[in-house]
Amino acid sequence: MNVMIEATKLTKVYQMGDEQVHALRGVSFAVQKKDFIAIMGPSGSGKSTMLHIIGCLDRPTAGELFIEGLNVQEAGGNKLAEIRNQKIGFVFQNFNLMAKATAVENVELPLIYAGIRKRERRQRALAALERVGLSDRIKHRPPELSGGQRQRVAIARAMVTEPAFILADEPTGALDTTTSGQILDLFAELNDEGNTVILITHDPTVAQRTHRIIELLDGRITRDSSRNGVGA
Amino acid sequence: MNILETMRSALWSLQSNKLRSFLSMLGIIIGVAAVVGIVSVGLGAQSSVLDMVSALGSNLIMISPASTVARGGSVSGDAVDLFTVDLANHMQETVHNMSLVVPQVQGSGLLIYEGANLRATLVGTTPSYPEVTNYHVQTGRFLHELDVENATPVVILGSRIAENLFGQANPIGRELTYVVGDRRHSLTIIGVMESKGQVLMGNYDSQVYVPISYAMERILRTQTVSTLMAQAISAEAASTAVGDAEFLLYSRLGTTDGFNVTSQDEMLETMGDVAFTLQLMLAAIGGISLVVGGIGVMNIMLVSVSERTREIGTRKALGAKRRDLLMQFIVESLALSTSGGAIGMILGVLIAKAVSDFGGWATSIEGPALAIAFTFSALVGLVAGVYPAMQAAKLDPVLALSHE
Ligand SMILES: Nc1ncnc2c1ncn2[C@@H]1O[C@H](COP(=O)(O)OP(=O)(O)OP(=O)(O)O)[C@@H](O)[C@H]1O
Ligand SMILES: [Mg+2]
Repeated sequence: MNVMIEATKLTKVYQMGDEQVHALRGVSFAVQKKDFIAIMGPSGSGKSTMLHIIGCLDRPTAGELFIEGLNVQEAGGNKLAEIRNQKIGFVFQNFNLMAKATAVENVELPLIYAGIRKRERRQRALAALERVGLSDRIKHRPPELSGGQRQRVAIARAMVTEPAFILADEPTGALDTTTSGQILDLFAELNDEGNTVILITHDPTVAQRTHRIIELLDGRITRDSSRNGVGA
Repeated sequence: MNILETMRSALWSLQSNKLRSFLSMLGIIIGVAAVVGIVSVGLGAQSSVLDMVSALGSNLIMISPASTVARGGSVSGDAVDLFTVDLANHMQETVHNMSLVVPQVQGSGLLIYEGANLRATLVGTTPSYPEVTNYHVQTGRFLHELDVENATPVVILGSRIAENLFGQANPIGRELTYVVGDRRHSLTIIGVMESKGQVLMGNYDSQVYVPISYAMERILRTQTVSTLMAQAISAEAASTAVGDAEFLLYSRLGTTDGFNVTSQDEMLETMGDVAFTLQLMLAAIGGISLVVGGIGVMNIMLVSVSERTREIGTRKALGAKRRDLLMQFIVESLALSTSGGAIGMILGVLIAKAVSDFGGWATSIEGPALAIAFTFSALVGLVAGVYPAMQAAKLDPVLALSHE
């Protein structure tokens, strides 16, 4: 099974008093295993909304969503939490690390919710930190790390559960150009190793390094490079 | 996520915020310390008061004129006049449930011996006094019938009086002067009482004892006595004896007002009731401070939830279920309140110890009181944690993550 995500006519409507805000107006796409996708589009076009829905943090107002063949619509709250824990790795623009916990403790967190025992947890967290090149910073706490290092810890945390795909909302948005490049290199390497990666970016140079670009405008997909390139 | 992990992460979270954790525990600490300290001191006081009542004597019945509030707290005239040595004798003869009836008068004056002087309570009484009060001479002798008949100027000293005036020297046979107003009385010391310590209504050790006749005729110049102390023939007979005495006084006075007849058991009961009520009140105050402490914990948990909104969102994104977050915050609240409870317990025990060491009060630290206080603090933590934890658990992950 090579289809990771299958989204059909996803819509999201926010009710703001009397007004309806249409964040997504029927978005359809599929994500294959090993895809490396950039989602682009102007501010307010619905990128984050879409990412939250395929990340099972939010439910669509209408439409269908399958993750590895599983109908997300039918899943309850606990099941969604389980999907997030086991199938999805999140990377955020502002890292969202536990400030008082060490790097390795941060990386262990999703494994705690997965119910994995302490010894194995520690081993896997250390391996993940080694993978992102932070073996010498395992006892550092986030405030003692640079922005790039923090984002590496966050990436290690996202991949430590060996998820089906990694979702990153502007992962380089808070970093300078050089560091952004390094973080992007890391995503590219992870993708080479077989990981599916979907990231939101405003930066065309970042987008260029991915294999597929989905462009959103006003809640609709205006361009999907795989359709143009491969599918069309 | 299992409970052990939850506890570990709760403790970790409290540890990483030590000062705040401590401050929010403070209410609970004070509450538990207050409950434990107060109850310990209260229990101690209760048992020592009860001991004091027991120390008054055995099967003792106190008979005295009642002070009536209607007359400004002064003693009702008729009843006072009734209390005489004759009444004591009459009662002893007619009330068969009483083996002894001892009249007693009291006055206050100054004792002088070779330049040293001391204020002392003077008790005029009869030879049966030691038996009724279960309080005996240490050296020398107590009063004889002849001393009362002849109103001889002799005195027996309380142990503290003897010690203060004579130190280690033997006072028997010496003369001292007792001054009341401008009258001086020369008294020969014939005995020293054993040490009895504090009893309910004063300290026997700092009193001196003289024949009742001498006290009434020469020193106090009164026809009436202040109290009759009677001994029932047995514990079982005590309440009948009380009834008999009351009937006798009623037949003389024509009313049941104006006098009090109280058995030792009744005193014990009253004291026990008073002590219990007092303790209940104090424990309630401690309980209130526990509740206030609980509100403090709840407040800090609410603050904690709102300022950790992003953390909660992140945890949800990483796979935390509602139950995990519910547990996390409840366990944190429990950890806060039970740590506070434990510290409070230690503090309460220390307070009780300090009160008994420095205040000279008896205290009694009881396991059940500790257990109740601790359980209560845990309960408070549980209750205080539930609402904030529910707030945390139901947060929408997307909104939580975008929280500034
Ligand atoms: N909770 C909400 N309630 C109401 N409207 C919302 C809510 N969240 C998002 N929106 C609206 O939905 C639209 C899409 O928002 P979204 O965050 O997906 O945009 P975006 O493409 O990620 O923008 P940016 O590049 O600025 O992050 C916006 O118009 C936004 O105002
Ligand atoms: Mg966005």
